[in-house]
Amino acid sequence: MARTEKKKDVVLVGFGWTGAIMGIELANEGLEVLALERGHDQATVPDFQYPNMIDELKYGIRYGMMEKPANTTVTIRRSLDEEALPYRSLGTFLLGTGVGGAGTHWNGLNWRPMQSEYRLKSYVTEKFGAGVMTEDMTIQDYPMTYEELEPHFDRFEKVAGISGTAGNINGKIVEGGNPFEAPRSDEYPMPAMPSTWDGVKFRDAAKAAGYHPFPSPGGIASKDYKNEYNMQMGPCNHCGFCERYGCYNYSKSSPQTAIIDALKRKKNFEYRVNSEVLRVEKSTDGKTVTGVTYFDHKTGEEVFQPADLVILTAFALNNVHLMLVSGIGQPYDPNTNEGVVGRNYAYQITGGYTLFFKDENFNPFIGTGANGFCIDDFGIDNIDFAKEGFVGGAYWRAGQTNGQPGHTMPLPAGTPSWGAGWKKGIGEWYGHAMNIGAHGSVMSYRGHYLDLDPTYKDRHGRPMLRMTYNWHPNEIRQTQFMKQKMEPVAKSMNPTTLQEGFKKEGAMFDVRPYQTTHNTGGTVTGDDPKTSVLNRYLQSWDCHNLFVMGANTFPQNTQYNPTGMVGGLAYWAAHHIRKDYLPNPRALV
Amino acid sequence: MKKLIRVLGVLVVLGIIALLAFIFVPVQRTGPVTQLAADFKPAKGQGEYVMRAGDCMACHTNEGGKPFAGGRAIQSPMGTIWTTNITPDKETGIGNWSLDDFRAALYDGVAPNGTHLYPAMPYENYRKLTEEDVVALYDYFMHEVQPVSNKVEETKLSFPFNMRFGLRAWNWLAASYQAGFKPEEGQDEQFNRGKYLVEGAAHCAACHSPRTLFMSQDGIDSSSKAFLTGGEIDGYTAPDLRGPESGPQKWTTEQTAAYLATARNAHSSATGEMMLVVRDSLQYLTHEDNMAIATYLKKIGTAPADASAAAAKPEVTETEKLLTDAKADMPLGPRLYLDNCAACHIVNGKGAGETFPELDGNSLVTAKSPKGLISVILHGAELPSTADRPMKLRMQGYDQRLSDEEVAALATFLRQGWHNKAPSVSAAQVKAVREAATH
Amino acid sequence: MRDIPGLPSRRGFLKASAATAAIAGIAVPAKAEQKPEPVALTEYKPDCLKPSEWVFVMAAVARLIPSDGDGPGAIETRVPVFIDKQLAGDYGKASDWYMVGPYQPAASPLRGWQTPLSPLEIYQQAIPLFDDWCKTTHGKIFAELDAETQDKALTSLQKDEMKIKPELREFFGILLANTKEGYFSDPMYGGNHGMAAWKYIGFPGARGSYKEWVGKHNVKYPLGPVSISGERG
Repeated sequence: MARTEKKKDVVLVGFGWTGAIMGIELANEGLEVLALERGHDQATVPDFQYPNMIDELKYGIRYGMMEKPANTTVTIRRSLDEEALPYRSLGTFLLGTGVGGAGTHWNGLNWRPMQSEYRLKSYVTEKFGAGVMTEDMTIQDYPMTYEELEPHFDRFEKVAGISGTAGNINGKIVEGGNPFEAPRSDEYPMPAMPSTWDGVKFRDAAKAAGYHPFPSPGGIASKDYKNEYNMQMGPCNHCGFCERYGCYNYSKSSPQTAIIDALKRKKNFEYRVNSEVLRVEKSTDGKTVTGVTYFDHKTGEEVFQPADLVILTAFALNNVHLMLVSGIGQPYDPNTNEGVVGRNYAYQITGGYTLFFKDENFNPFIGTGANGFCIDDFGIDNIDFAKEGFVGGAYWRAGQTNGQPGHTMPLPAGTPSWGAGWKKGIGEWYGHAMNIGAHGSVMSYRGHYLDLDPTYKDRHGRPMLRMTYNWHPNEIRQTQFMKQKMEPVAKSMNPTTLQEGFKKEGAMFDVRPYQTTHNTGGTVTGDDPKTSVLNRYLQSWDCHNLFVMGANTFPQNTQYNPTGMVGGLAYWAAHHIRKDYLPNPRALV
Repeated sequence: MKKLIRVLGVLVVLGIIALLAFIFVPVQRTGPVTQLAADFKPAKGQGEYVMRAGDCMACHTNEGGKPFAGGRAIQSPMGTIWTTNITPDKETGIGNWSLDDFRAALYDGVAPNGTHLYPAMPYENYRKLTEEDVVALYDYFMHEVQPVSNKVEETKLSFPFNMRFGLRAWNWLAASYQAGFKPEEGQDEQFNRGKYLVEGAAHCAACHSPRTLFMSQDGIDSSSKAFLTGGEIDGYTAPDLRGPESGPQKWTTEQTAAYLATARNAHSSATGEMMLVVRDSLQYLTHEDNMAIATYLKKIGTAPADASAAAAKPEVTETEKLLTDAKADMPLGPRLYLDNCAACHIVNGKGAGETFPELDGNSLVTAKSPKGLISVILHGAELPSTADRPMKLRMQGYDQRLSDEEVAALATFLRQGWHNKAPSVSAAQVKAVREAATH
Repeated sequence: MRDIPGLPSRRGFLKASAATAAIAGIAVPAKAEQKPEPVALTEYKPDCLKPSEWVFVMAAVARLIPSDGDGPGAIETRVPVFIDKQLAGDYGKASDWYMVGPYQPAASPLRGWQTPLSPLEIYQQAIPLFDDWCKTTHGKIFAELDAETQDKALTSLQKDEMKIKPELREFFGILLANTKEGYFSDPMYGGNHGMAAWKYIGFPGARGSYKEWVGKHNVKYPLGPVSISGERG
């Protein structure tokens, strides 16, 4: 141990969305708070500034904003009897790094889960009988209710600056919004963003089919905006560079636009970059943690940072990895179905139709990450699992996010991948295609989990995180159901030609194409220490002064993009730390 | 250059007159304007507050140096003026100064040894301070500021500017009015508080008033017609604050106060020198004081002819149409606007709220001197983090992306687009600003 | 803040201190140069490709994105320069990737990059093997074949008819991907010369400003592209 730093009240591991939320909430309590960020510092200007940011090769294709696998990665296998191999170059998910974390390069889609998702196991059992669950399914209820979380969802949406149209305010259905959403106490803080042509076409087709389209809710400013910390956003110009990019226009919700400059003014808050936490240190009796050990990349030494309270606020996979390498909580064993850390890893299943219209212009480069219209008619609350033979649901969306030709160039099936035919194809079809996507839930299963790899080590000599995951027949049935329902809607729009892209029976997890970065579970929240790592306040069952944020707390994945839930849970946990834990530090349950 | 020669001439003449005057007239030091009770104690924080209002720190603290230890270099064509150490250090600071010495520096621009201060020190304005504020400020510097031993390099200007006594004649012109503050009769307390701050500590006229033939501020209060009608600093325009097209007249008092406290409001944002004034001084004033300043400014100005009609016009300008059509054959200026500016400032030139300033009717855009506009295009801008608006909003610079000709075409477009009507900008003007930044 | 008549005020030094410090970090590194016509491809001195590799890349990209028909080809857009520069840099060296063994290059392709070789090493090792295969199968190295035979050979490579060893399995995939990257990337990387590929398909490049166009449905956006360095097309 080369160095021990002065003790802090709170140390936050990671300075993205949840680190920033915890930072400002606990600094406002007067605590000495330190955030440790493994990556670099970054701000809108100069790091995301126009025009340098909107460089498809650097950021969209070479992933310039992401953590390099050379520095941190995982190993992946599809089954218990396969050997895991390193995720050597980026593909299916993109792990962020640096100040702001994945909150800088997301698409901005922001949701609250549907009502059934908070008590999914009870809902499924009560409504359809336990028999609709597959034998290996390990879904469970959240240990808190939607009603308890609602004020915190509301708060996060107002802090982040979400644009949208409410569909259900205190139980009253509002025309134009999502009639299936859980009742919200207030409007979205900003009106919905205008949609491009593809979204409007889908809206009309969905309406004609009897469905209930509504504008996509997103952390993209539709007007100038100021939040409770007096942080500001400016209206989005639909530049078409959201996902994989930082926003140069102060228009996309991020820790930078919502929190960081306000937090930096606080004298009792400090953050250190290039400071990579290697493990959480436990006290001798193992009942509390004493701080963290991090690697200071500037000085090349290990540093012990003592703290009274440690909060893991890194990306989901990193939080789980830290728990495993720190030996906190019993690692999950799929053979015995015992242990908790690493249990219930889940992902997201997506599919969709691409529609080509020879004579229509979509100007695909005009877009945002949360563009267009959605329907929730096939959301998890609205499906008869007994009849359809699966558990889950999906929301659908049409709304172009980008027209960057290097990685977004839909061409009709049969177009050659190179040569004269390809060149003719791009000339004919660029700007004349649109997509409808289904974004589906993934349940948790006994065989899908995270643990430590026996072979591969990271640059600090720690065993790498190993992911065991494959597409499950339940999700294949779900996505095939979506295909069957989407086909008539797509066809009703009379495209010149169309093609589907849904996973089929026997589909194996392919790490190469980008899918989503919605990696969930591994340190789930629950009522029972035998099936969860964290209690309802996201407090470790084992060490009461350790809290863990992130999508790793989800017992199974919802049908939505996770950020809204992650933000809501962070405000929920921050509230209970402030009101219940700080006055009397102890196990809250 | 012409101007410089004129100034040199004026100074030489003044120097000769003063040399004669110096022989016959002893140095005058103004006494207290009010006799305070012997046990007068300034309220806690009052001295620091006056320091903030007077922005003492900005000049008397070197970049990265200890507060008030001086040593900041003011480059001038005649040599470098080094700001002095005003910490209570007895050797190198003002630790040995009496209250009378201190007051004389503020009111008369005279050091205890009788030498004249260069009027980089705005004693023309500080002369308005009340005795209570003088004592509070003195008390602050003597007891709250940490003494720092820092021997500041002596200012050595070339002849004749090293003849400090020359300043005496200048002082007779600029700082000969009755010291202390007289509230304007028939005006309320808020107005007079604003008047006191604007004319006194905040020394707004130092930049925003034109200069007389002798280069003193043209008027030290609102009774002068020229007072705060715009000035020039190093070729940059400090905008008019009183005319019907000026910010404080077009904006609501709340908006002006917000601008002072946060460097931004629903219309505009502060750049350059004004940004620094907000960063170092005005953001520390109370909301009531910034409101008082805004109220005072509004009352001494001329309201726009028909403010409500102007605000209500939702018309789409020809400029907006041209930009929206995005035709491939559009001229260079608007094309550059679409390629560089429209993302934030929007095709209607209105920007967005407090985040993106409007360019239509913006005093920086249409300023007499285009230097400020060129400078922002080339080098960008940054708003300070303030208590009410913590975000350091920044605009990136375009000095690497745009050539002199392109900046000139873009700046000309901005100055003549929407409702703006200001003269064109030449590539040579851009070149000059670009080169000035490199040394 | 005005001081002695005619002397510059605080402005004079603030320009060089506070104000400059505040914005010093925010200059755009992209150069706005008046572009001279770059060196002809035949004169280009590659950063990393050896002459035989350069000849292959020139020939291969000319078939992957041919020059005839509508739209520019890979040669006019200088894709070979892009590929050479990319292979010479971090991408070519796989600097960002986890390149620590043990390796299983023969694992299912679905499991991603599992070869121990970097992209540059794959080009270096695969090109001579493919040229040998062309010689054996078609009588000449790839670059010397006629266009039709070249297309046939590339199809064989894509279908892995030559049964290339697993370490080199990604060769055709990265060759094609890099060719398209060079075609569509910002011109500052050496390809997409004159933004010709963007103009061909109607992509406005780095404009990133369309607020007034979101509501113009089904109307083709008319304005040509701008590059990161400010080049207009």
